[in-house]
Amino acid sequence: MLTQSLDKQLPDGVADLFFNDAARKRAVERTLAETFIRWGYSEIIPPMFEYYESLAAEAGAQLCEEMYRFFDREGRTLALRADFTIPVARIVGTKLFDRAMPLRFFYIGSVFRYTEPQAGVRREFTQAGIELIGANTAEADAEAIALAMSALRALGLHDFRFTLGNVAYLQALLRDLALDDATQSALHEAIRRKNTPALIQQLDALNLDAAHRDALAQLPALWGNDALDRARAVNDAARAALERLRAVMQWLARYNLADFVTLDLAETRGMQYYTGILFEGFVHGLGFAVVSGGRYDNLIAHFGPSIPAVGFAIGVERVMMIQRAHASIAPDAIAQVYDARVAEARARGRIVEVDVLAQSDDALRRYARVRGAREIWWRDGRVESIE
Amino acid sequence: MTELTIALAKGRLLTPSLKLLASLGYDVREAADSRQLVLTAHAARFILAKPMDAPIYVEYGAADAGIVGLDALRERGVNVYEPLLLGYGACRLVVAGRPEFQNAEWKMLAGLRVATKYPRVTRQYFAARGLSAEIIEVYGSVELAPRVGLADLIVDVVDTGRTLRENGLVELAEIFKSQAVLIVNRASHTLKVNAIRELIEKINVKRET
Repeated sequence: MLTQSLDKQLPDGVADLFFNDAARKRAVERTLAETFIRWGYSEIIPPMFEYYESLAAEAGAQLCEEMYRFFDREGRTLALRADFTIPVARIVGTKLFDRAMPLRFFYIGSVFRYTEPQAGVRREFTQAGIELIGANTAEADAEAIALAMSALRALGLHDFRFTLGNVAYLQALLRDLALDDATQSALHEAIRRKNTPALIQQLDALNLDAAHRDALAQLPALWGNDALDRARAVNDAARAALERLRAVMQWLARYNLADFVTLDLAETRGMQYYTGILFEGFVHGLGFAVVSGGRYDNLIAHFGPSIPAVGFAIGVERVMMIQRAHASIAPDAIAQVYDARVAEARARGRIVEVDVLAQSDDALRRYARVRGAREIWWRDGRVESIE
Repeated sequence: MTELTIALAKGRLLTPSLKLLASLGYDVREAADSRQLVLTAHAARFILAKPMDAPIYVEYGAADAGIVGLDALRERGVNVYEPLLLGYGACRLVVAGRPEFQNAEWKMLAGLRVATKYPRVTRQYFAARGLSAEIIEVYGSVELAPRVGLADLIVDVVDTGRTLRENGLVELAEIFKSQAVLIVNRASHTLKVNAIRELIEKINVKRET
């Protein structure tokens, strides 16, 4: 039974979609699926829930905390999927690891996170994205970014910019220092928020050599087109991370997309499974990212052989906030009764509704107007146009 | 040049913020005495917002950047960039209570009641120390709460400490030091990269001289 109080029929963070909104959402999903398919990606459909233990693999403390968990009858802990990347990694690591590489998968569906209310964040939301598996190359990184941009364009969103960073650069700086977890995550948080004052304060307390200290201290300011020239390569891994970004930018130039990218080496985000490039896509008119993605070379190894991968997800609800496109749910015609004409029109792909209430002529006219139908087909064969 | 929208916290930060902006070349003379909430100066638009609202304007992208108090920023817990501390508007967020709670007596109490305008920061502070506290959110005159028996303790900002003394309260612990901070929306940081960089550099140059 529905609860009596009308203001609590739905939990926070979920929504009912119907009429035009539902049609718009499906139109966005269709456009994205068509784009992904054209680039050679095929759909993968993981289950909505599975063992918490597999989903918690490398998910990071925050995402684990945000998972909806429950028990099956044997007392095992299950969880609703909180993203698609981890289930896809499980499928590849356990079932598809010996296939010809690379594998190209796309997905569209709901994910669930128990989060605090925050800008643009819901508890059930729809992700549409891709995973390009089995290629640790700059070409693969560039394909993921180019496909994300291409998908936005297919949606009619042309006014976008992406930030691009490489978490391997920060990892290379930190590797030499052997800091404890708490210190690392405090540094991480300051870098992520570009909080230079807090970062400097923490670094000064650590007593580091000048090369590492300076390289870390300048991270929040390492953004813009000259970021790669300003960044310091304190070791080979850091140099390789910067080289990779340079190579990705060169491949993006081939797609004529390099101008839409701002480099940002402080782009290191929360999820801990990322190992290489990281990117976020923003569209004018929306204050938070529409696309978010990156490289995760160690995730699949949690479930099977080690296989590199890169991917991204687009927030479908966020697209709907900025995309003004209208999806019509109005029928072409409303027929007073079912007849051959109706069957024939439907076979030709027209949308025809049949009256099942035996309404009066006036009532049917009013209904047709509300539904936005263009014609009424009367029982006697007359066709009436509606202004 | 891309036009930036900047949210300014009203209240005690507003006058020094306007002074800073004027020294950067923005014509903000009108703002000082007008009651308008949205102002346009050349190449920028300013939204005058309640101190606690200003961070939210920036998180949602209604403003590209903002000048807000660190206290409000932490209380709202918003996901924004915070590249610069601005050096003015200094104050401290503290736990205060009646003198008998000194010598850490308050940490021994179970079922503490804490009145505050900062429920999020307060909850985090007490939870991180394993103290169970009942947090009472009030919208003004926090310092009155212990006197009338509404709460045992308060969490509030103090400047000189005079208000505490006048109400017979003493400071028991400092939670953090606050000051004015420049914050930037994450999307604007990318979409208006040059305008944001110019703003940060102008403030940096100003602060160094």
